[in-house]
Amino acid sequence: MASANKRFTPGLPGRRATAVVAGGLAVASLLGACGGSGKSASGATSNTTAGSSGSSGTAAPSGGSTAPGNATSGSITWWASPITTSGPDPRTVLIQAFEKANPGIHVTLVSAPNDTDTNRAALTTQISGGGGPDVYMGDVIWPAQFGAHQLAVPLSKYLPSSYWSTFANGLVAGATYKGEVYGAPLFEDQGFLYYRKDILQADNLPVPTTWEQLMSEAQQIQKKGQAQYGYVFQGADYEGATCDFMEFLADAGGKVLNSSADKSELTANGDALKALTFEQQLVNSGVSPKAESTFQESQAMDTFDSGKSAFLRNWDYAYSTSQASGSAVVGKVGVAPMPTFTGQSQPGYSNIGGWNLYANPHSKNLAADLTFIKWMTGTDAQKILATQFSEIPTNQSVRTSPDVIASNAVLAVVPKTKLVPRPAQTPNYPAVSQAIYQNVSAVLAGQKSPQAALSAANSAISTAVSGGGL
Amino acid sequence: MALKKTRHGWHRYINGLTIATTLTVLFVILPLLWMITSSFKGPKSIATSDLLPNPWTTVNYHEAFTHYSFSRYILNSVVISVAATAIVLFLGVMAGYALGRLPMRNKLPLMVALLMISVFPAIAVIAPMYLIMKQIGWLNSYQALILPYAAFNLPFAIWILRNYFLGIPKEMEETGRIDGASPLRTVWSIVLPQAKPGVFTAGIFTFTACWTEFLMALSFNSENNFRTIPVGIALFGSQFTVPFGTIFAGSCVAAVPIAALVLIFRKSVVSGLTSGAVKG
Amino acid sequence: MAIAERVEKPPLPPEPPAAAIPLIGRPDAHRRKLARLGWMFSAPALVVIAVVTLFPIVFSVVMSFENVNVTGSGYQFNGTTLGNYNVILNNQTWRYALGFTVLYTLITVLVEIILGTAIALVLERLTHGRGWMMALLLIPWSLITVISAQLWYYMYDPSYGIIDRILHALGFGNPVILGTNTSAIIALMVADVWKTTPFVAIIVLAGLVMLSSDVYEAAEVDGANGWTTFWRITFPLLRPTIALAVLFRVLQAFGLFDLPFVLTQGGPGHATTSLAVLGYRAMFQDLKFGPGAAVATSTALLVVLGCMAFLRVFKAQVGSEGN
Repeated sequence: MASANKRFTPGLPGRRATAVVAGGLAVASLLGACGGSGKSASGATSNTTAGSSGSSGTAAPSGGSTAPGNATSGSITWWASPITTSGPDPRTVLIQAFEKANPGIHVTLVSAPNDTDTNRAALTTQISGGGGPDVYMGDVIWPAQFGAHQLAVPLSKYLPSSYWSTFANGLVAGATYKGEVYGAPLFEDQGFLYYRKDILQADNLPVPTTWEQLMSEAQQIQKKGQAQYGYVFQGADYEGATCDFMEFLADAGGKVLNSSADKSELTANGDALKALTFEQQLVNSGVSPKAESTFQESQAMDTFDSGKSAFLRNWDYAYSTSQASGSAVVGKVGVAPMPTFTGQSQPGYSNIGGWNLYANPHSKNLAADLTFIKWMTGTDAQKILATQFSEIPTNQSVRTSPDVIASNAVLAVVPKTKLVPRPAQTPNYPAVSQAIYQNVSAVLAGQKSPQAALSAANSAISTAVSGGGL
Repeated sequence: MALKKTRHGWHRYINGLTIATTLTVLFVILPLLWMITSSFKGPKSIATSDLLPNPWTTVNYHEAFTHYSFSRYILNSVVISVAATAIVLFLGVMAGYALGRLPMRNKLPLMVALLMISVFPAIAVIAPMYLIMKQIGWLNSYQALILPYAAFNLPFAIWILRNYFLGIPKEMEETGRIDGASPLRTVWSIVLPQAKPGVFTAGIFTFTACWTEFLMALSFNSENNFRTIPVGIALFGSQFTVPFGTIFAGSCVAAVPIAALVLIFRKSVVSGLTSGAVKG
Repeated sequence: MAIAERVEKPPLPPEPPAAAIPLIGRPDAHRRKLARLGWMFSAPALVVIAVVTLFPIVFSVVMSFENVNVTGSGYQFNGTTLGNYNVILNNQTWRYALGFTVLYTLITVLVEIILGTAIALVLERLTHGRGWMMALLLIPWSLITVISAQLWYYMYDPSYGIIDRILHALGFGNPVILGTNTSAIIALMVADVWKTTPFVAIIVLAGLVMLSSDVYEAAEVDGANGWTTFWRITFPLLRPTIALAVLFRVLQAFGLFDLPFVLTQGGPGHATTSLAVLGYRAMFQDLKFGPGAAVATSTALLVVLGCMAFLRVFKAQVGSEGN
């Protein structure tokens, strides 16, 4: 590698490279922008910016809209991944309703990939390249990263605090980075405990409110042969394992980052150890399957759906999926808030998931974007999402309105739950999460002890929050 | 399937080689069969290891074509892959011939440079390519994919074609030259037919590479009207559900054109390969 | 270096043209003319390649030597640095990924070449059904990698996957195929061999059918058996083709990305993190384009060096002008 470095170092400092490029390329204007902005050798203050040439770069939110969110005309694109699998598409239903309410504004749906990482890759490529959709639906864990890299418009610069106070508690805080709100929560998601009503009833068991209780009930059920497994959750080597671990950790009283999100507080003893050891015990005792370390939502769902597990930790969608055709547990499923550890105040914590609406800094029609975002997070759209598609509304008044609560078993439980966010207040959250899920999953796979996993996670998180590492 | 008896006796075929090959072919075919049968499984049996769907259903195919604009994706993929392959074969045959048969200087650096280009990880070129596409206004168009596909697949095609041109007896060109044919004609009507298997190989690999490319297609063409099959399939399902049935249905359909292509052109590979060679 | 000498040797037989073709002038002038023709023939292809690929590649290489900040307003270059290379060289995961990628490449390419050549040898003897067999074999190769990864993911599923069930029936208990390092790596290799063995088979087959049948007949007269014929006659003649197949398989295997990205997400832990997965994560997950570009650039450089070494060991068959 040393020779590799030598080989390249003298040859390719920026300007010469661009000159080479200019010879071979018919993209003169781009290179003009790229080479012309003059990368001075000292370089400390003058940055070469490739990508935003003139117009698109400076057309970013100029604050030209005097009445934000009240635009009456324009045409915008909305980038959103599919929300449901079958039936009418909530995205088109919402767009139609929006266009009916705002006849001057036309919204074009751009369907985004389902995989969240692929989705983010496509978005960052487009936005940093000077393009992309006007409004995009993005994960709730993106605000810090997207804010730090200016990939999203700080919406709080345009929308008043009266708007932000319409949301349910804690959601806006999760979308805030360095005092600015970057995402408007569109629909929320969170962990729930799903249980087999029929089995609990037959055995005269209460719905568990503590983890210890869940474990003993599960073992009882397994012993009787009523279900092969007691509890299935998300333990694979991916984001979901972080979500589930956050619930155990919060229940045990621990946390991952300090309040300024720049230091790891995940130590290899105390609360974190209690949480992770319990996760390990679930697998070791046979309450959870041996394959738990490869379980994502779909594997956990399939196991529960086929009647093989008494309890399931999953998101909002799991209820309707368990009642759909193909499921063996139709009419036998109950939903409750998550349990907690004995001695802690009930209920247990549910991790926050869900999706926000973000505006692209390159959007040419920010006023219409804001109108759209405002409408989508308003009562009409939120009611549609809740009652027609059983998504959890973010708007507090819709969330607590009786007809919404009555419309769906899961929505009825929502007001009783307690939420915990993931440690996404750092722009380096993806690396922090990776440090968590890799180590948690390794424990579930029996490849690491909880202590070793936590100290490995701790040092990886420390590197990550300081922006180091790969 | 009959075997040539003339070259070796029948007993030759009951040997280690044939057994190993049969096993390998089974290994190739069984997962495909599994994909095909699974594509006919409904929501009840998709999450089982039942050998056959019970009941058989075409609901997955229906889903792919009605819930998603799969036919549009197929059309786009065909247009883009055919155009890129045509460009690659035309330019690649000429360059491959030149680099294989003509006395040019600095061939080695050129071949290594081509190698370097085909090696460069695709993930690293997406961002700068997007800048260019944006700048020249090619986002959401066929050419946004045709040209990059052609350019990134040309190096491999040139290497492979050059390799096959090297194997053709040199007397062939001399014949052409004596007849007074132009160099281009010599390549096209005398040398090329000899290198058909190579052209076929380069063509099928280029086509397949275009047919399956994902990252560029995803980044450059976000409008539904210009999206290709791989991107289209990435839109199947939702965040927490992987609709295996629909995905397999889509890929079964997507495999048909490739299989058809091979079948259409199989004659050109199978026949007339060695028969036309001039005698030394 | 050896390859260079071989390549720059005139490919045309030095004697015949002057003697046999009096119409064309002296050999020297003739050669110059042919060389000019060569550049004319290759120019269009080279121009297309250069126009499209040069800028992105140079951009990436430059980026690997820069403090890059990706923002909504573009890629900011904040000064030249070797820091990105420093970061990856001192990174344990990068070192692991390098080792893993090399090992993975060696094993899968070896297996694929052996199986692919075997298939090609048998296919070549088929007089009927060869086209159908080829069409069938090419389907795994033509599947979108992300989808073939999904197919294997489906088959490896710990509760209903057919492979899991088969292993269970064979007495392996309840294996968690993608849950442990070794089994996940093997599972990945199996999926790779499945997809790419047909690629090798088709390349070798195309090389085989171009061999003159005379050589076999001669061998048969000599009474050589199949194995001897293969090693003494077929293999030496096939060497350029096999070298080409190896070369391109190595290039592809070294760029391993889609398969682990879908099948294992690089896990468990880092067990199946290839260089490309690592680079992708750095760039698109962490938005660290500098180190990401350094991973990409160093990968490309290492592969080319590896390929050149291979060509040398393989007696430069690919670069030579045949025999």
